[in-house]
Amino acid sequence: MSIMQYNGGSVIAMKGKECVAIASDLRLGNQALTISCNHEKIFPVSDRVYYGLAGLATDVDTMRQRLRYRVNMYTIKEEREIEPETFARLTSSALYEHRFGPMFVEPVIAGLSKTPSGGVEPFIAAADLIGCLNFAKDFVVAGTASDKLYGVAEGLWEPDLEADDLFETISQTLLNAVDRDAYSGWGAIVHVITKDKVITRKLRGRMD
Amino acid sequence: MDGKTAPQMRHFNPYSDNGGTILAIAGQDFAVIAGDTRQTVGYEIQTRYAPKVFRLNDKAVLAVNGFAADGNMFVKKVKQKLEMYRHAHAKDMPLRAIARLIQTMLYAQRFFPYYVYNILGGIEEDGSGAVYSFDPVGSYERESCRAAGAAQSLVQPFLDNQIYFKNQQPIPGGPPHPVHLPLSRVIALVTDSFTSATERHIEVGDELEMFIVLSRSHPQQSLDPRLNATEVSTTASGEKVFVIRRPLKRD
Amino acid sequence: MASADGGAYSYSLTVFSPSGKLVQIEHALAAVNQGTTSLGIKASNGVVIATEKKSPSILVDASMVEKVAEICPNIGIVYSGMGPDFRVIVSRARKSAQAYLKVYGEYPPTRVLTQEIATVMQEATQRGGVRPFGLSLLVAGWDAHRGPMLYQVDPSGSFWAWKASAIGKNMINAKTFLEKRYNDDISLEDAIHTALLTLKEGFEGQMTEKTIEIGVVNVPTAAELEEAKSSPESGRPKRTFRKLTEEEVRDYLAL
Repeated sequence: MSIMQYNGGSVIAMKGKECVAIASDLRLGNQALTISCNHEKIFPVSDRVYYGLAGLATDVDTMRQRLRYRVNMYTIKEEREIEPETFARLTSSALYEHRFGPMFVEPVIAGLSKTPSGGVEPFIAAADLIGCLNFAKDFVVAGTASDKLYGVAEGLWEPDLEADDLFETISQTLLNAVDRDAYSGWGAIVHVITKDKVITRKLRGRMD
Repeated sequence: MDGKTAPQMRHFNPYSDNGGTILAIAGQDFAVIAGDTRQTVGYEIQTRYAPKVFRLNDKAVLAVNGFAADGNMFVKKVKQKLEMYRHAHAKDMPLRAIARLIQTMLYAQRFFPYYVYNILGGIEEDGSGAVYSFDPVGSYERESCRAAGAAQSLVQPFLDNQIYFKNQQPIPGGPPHPVHLPLSRVIALVTDSFTSATERHIEVGDELEMFIVLSRSHPQQSLDPRLNATEVSTTASGEKVFVIRRPLKRD
Repeated sequence: MASADGGAYSYSLTVFSPSGKLVQIEHALAAVNQGTTSLGIKASNGVVIATEKKSPSILVDASMVEKVAEICPNIGIVYSGMGPDFRVIVSRARKSAQAYLKVYGEYPPTRVLTQEIATVMQEATQRGGVRPFGLSLLVAGWDAHRGPMLYQVDPSGSFWAWKASAIGKNMINAKTFLEKRYNDDISLEDAIHTALLTLKEGFEGQMTEKTIEIGVVNVPTAAELEEAKSSPESGRPKRTFRKLTEEEVRDYLAL
């Protein structure tokens, strides 16, 4: 049993048309024993950038605090909000600092970056536990249900989805994937980031 | 040293995993049984065409996945038993009997099992489409859809969603979810499942081999010519069996 | 106290005078004011920094003397004051820019790099065993957040943003000249000419491509930025700062 499976949990992010979505399950477990079904794994960085951490819960917590520290320092020093890509690089370097004694977390990042022409562009990325970045153009996944998420997302996702269709796609992908994973599930939370608002919804799913 | 050497244990592992994925879906009056044709050991591709899906008779198709040597031997033995049955009874063994036979044969090897996951698909005596899935020691059940093999974890939740309509609510006041899907939809889902699995799993790819068994009660007794199917059934009056082959990505 | 580690004198050489001044810093500023004149002008579509380069002898190969230095593809600096101290600053600034690139995947904004340099210079006013840097800097750069920027850093570690500024021997006259010439929508080409005209005021000797150094920041167009974005992994970021070649300087002087 890998330490990455100790607490369970899964995260996924998808690109849409001028929008992105990021979603996770809500389970916190102690191996096969479920401890909590309201354990959020997705955190905001700004109005345009969210990230999720799958993996060992204690490291998720620590990593969240470390990233908050580094993002706050960045924001104060640079007098601007961090761009999603810059945040991805920052996360990567924070993880690689612990190359030989890693934090057991896999980050998934979703956000809208500003284009030079003043518009927004969807951005998603994921990394392994030592910070190797993956900039995908469709979707990224992490956690105990990652193989299932890959399979369902590969079948359901299509390019240029509008915000409400993207919400439906990511919700169905997550729900059906975690239903086949004993370590994930017990409800889900979905954030859809559009250029003028973030829509957050909690999903019930099957609670077993 | 005193001339004696410490005892050494030699190890032989009789099993290996040859990758690949199989999948079967039952319709109202048809069954689709499919598998890819890639055979691997680790990162090596041994061959790009090693069939995993076999026609047993005009109403039964068996897909085997796991350790290819065991799989081939097992199919051979099942075919022998079915041949003996035909000589003794002058008819093909019915599907549910084949399922029970497979259980018996698998459980006979309870302490040195065939390292194979079987999925049996075909037409029952009542004309309905059926799928039976087995574990390596013969535990089995009838279901309407099942994936097995390397990409089972990728394909099965997709099927839950698309075949069983899991996590989908029917439109209030609208029609309920269908219990059985039409053949065209099933073929599309099988194809999509394999292209998706090929995209994300290195042990899946090269070619898709899809068997379709049509019940005599199926309204059409032939397939859309655009599907480019080959008929492989042996009698004109019984169930019809077709094969469709599709290329998958080879990388 | 004459102990092995330097005793009481090892704390700091920069000590407040009873009147509240740090005279070492004022002496450093005096060193700057003996240095050759440098200036910078921010234009609507870029920034120019320029300096006078004086050789102690005609036997020195002036083309190997570098007073305008590139720190990273979007930032360049020029100095007035002590040449050897400049080399130290350049190497520290370049390291800082690369460290930023390593963490954030992009080069630092002008302000952040300026602040880093200013921190280095401030530390030299407080740490033991060192003296303040004997130079002032003009930092010119471009970034997506603030656009083209021009900063000045002094030996004390203070820094400001300027529309146009001058440092060094002829600073007062040059600033007066710039105040008269400057307007907010000056183009980069005009700014380069204004820079040369300003240097000409009180220039000792002949102004040639050998005695002038110029660096320019070009604001990239939206199309150039989109193009750079399309290949973010393999492609290096487009250079927005560059030094003018001797040929280019000669052409500007001829006009």
